Amino acid sequence: MPQEVTVLCFGPARQAAGTSRFLFEVPSAGIRSSELVAALAQARPRLRPTLQVSRFLLNGEVIGPCARRVRPGDEFAIHPPYGGG
Amino acid sequence: MMSAVRLSPRRLSYWAALAELGGPALGGVVLFAGRVRPDRVPGGRVVALDYDAHVGPALRRLEEIASIARRRYGARRVVLWHRVGRVQVGEVSVIAGAACGHRAQAFAAARYLIDELKATVPLWKTVRARPARRPRPPLRRGRARSAD
Repeated sequence: MPQEVTVLCFGPARQAAGTSRFLFEVPSAGIRSSELVAALAQARPRLRPTLQVSRFLLNGEVIGPCARRVRPGDEFAIHPPYGGG
Repeated sequence: MMSAVRLSPRRLSYWAALAELGGPALGGVVLFAGRVRPDRVPGGRVVALDYDAHVGPALRRLEEIASIARRRYGARRVVLWHRVGRVQVGEVSVIAGAACGHRAQAFAAARYLIDELKATVPLWKTVRARPARRPRPPLRRGRARSAD
């Protein structure tokens, strides 16, 4: 069983992370999304400013203000402010 | 026929968009096209923009926006296309268009489409700039000196 989540990075998050995706280890029971964001900021300090202004998607769905459980095998996307057009 | 919403690495065509908005009963057609400008930026001058999208959620959101434009403004036909990848200065990066019975609805629908796209669709751009050329220093007139 995978013990990691796939973190997807877009726009400024991709530039800060230096990659469009990476695997991040989480407990087998999962972790709250707010805790995951804090852990990402600690593990990758260059991502911290972007994380502070981003919204997040879990398996393609926007996560609201309530913390959600992120489990191994999930896909967690970092969406910095949008810039289309 | 092209779909109402689209993310494409290929050039966007005004004429294809207009064809998509056709229909004899549609008296008001508004087509907005956004192009990449050669703006001055700290690194020089913009030569291109690289667009990145979270494709699945972006397409879903584009469909939602198109659906709302149909319902709220009575748009019978809608076009909402965006480029992905590198877009050179002067090329079209986005097209938002609506065909309605009358002009007021068509303007409102097109405005809604482009504003919602910019605010709510997961797309990002990275500026590609070329350093501005410095003016050459004037040639010095005078005697040439030998090296020794």
